[in-house]
Amino acid sequence: MTELILKSQLPLDGRSLNYPGITIEEITDQSLVSIAVPIDGAAELNAALQSAYGTERPAVGKCTNGSMDNAIFLGLSQDQFFIMFDDAKLNDKGGDPAALIRDSIGHAAYVVDQSDGWVMTRVSGDSCRAALERICPIDLHPAMFSTGNVARTVMEHLATIIVCQAPDTYILLSPRSSANSFLHALDTSAKNVA
Amino acid sequence: MIINHPLLGPRDAAEFVYLGDAALLNRPDWQASDAAEQFYDYQYLRDNPAGDHRELWYHEQGDRSWLIVARNTLSHEITKVELARDVARARKQAHG
Repeated sequence: MTELILKSQLPLDGRSLNYPGITIEEITDQSLVSIAVPIDGAAELNAALQSAYGTERPAVGKCTNGSMDNAIFLGLSQDQFFIMFDDAKLNDKGGDPAALIRDSIGHAAYVVDQSDGWVMTRVSGDSCRAALERICPIDLHPAMFSTGNVARTVMEHLATIIVCQAPDTYILLSPRSSANSFLHALDTSAKNVA
Repeated sequence: MIINHPLLGPRDAAEFVYLGDAALLNRPDWQASDAAEQFYDYQYLRDNPAGDHRELWYHEQGDRSWLIVARNTLSHEITKVELARDVARARKQAHG
């Protein structure tokens, strides 16, 4: 019998688009996991995060950086946040990102793998804010939305999580099923300002 | 219309879903002797004020929180925005 080996595909096949002053690229080497805080479990979770990652859970709208795997914690709501991290160690865990997080923080929270539900892109460059501000309802001016800020919103009717990773560098997460439409929105806006 | 979210700051109303009168939080006691009458009121009899109104909004395209928004239905002026869970918890503490 034929030996079938199934291999997962990236939502955008790892595409990247370049315009003068704007780069749009798919993030291909990160996992995404949601962490929900149990009722009355915030203190225990903070202690677990502190010992594993040297950080506490992020406030709503803010990101914190973990001390390993280039982890970024995205504060999305009062009782839930996402963690984005390098998936280099995944093979040791049978490809399960949630198992990796459970190893780090034990059972202090409800942990669910989100990696395959989202397309992750990075938009950067001198002109990227000009392109983004045409489709993003959040005020992206550095005075209002600077490095370490995160917001969940809609862009072109598609749910979006936007993170300011560095000046003129944004991470955008959107549902995988509409990844190509999302890229089209970004691409169109980039063309319009480039 | 802009709703000034207590945690997130000003957000476009397009990110929210409207539910209705904030009185929906006051669910009747199902064991009361006149429970049927109370649930009839709760379910069907709504005030439709021209003026100040407290209403429930859900931040679906955001942090998924429920808000109680005090809005004037004539001018659309929003005078107060609170997290519904804070309001519900405060009431629970007050009434035990």
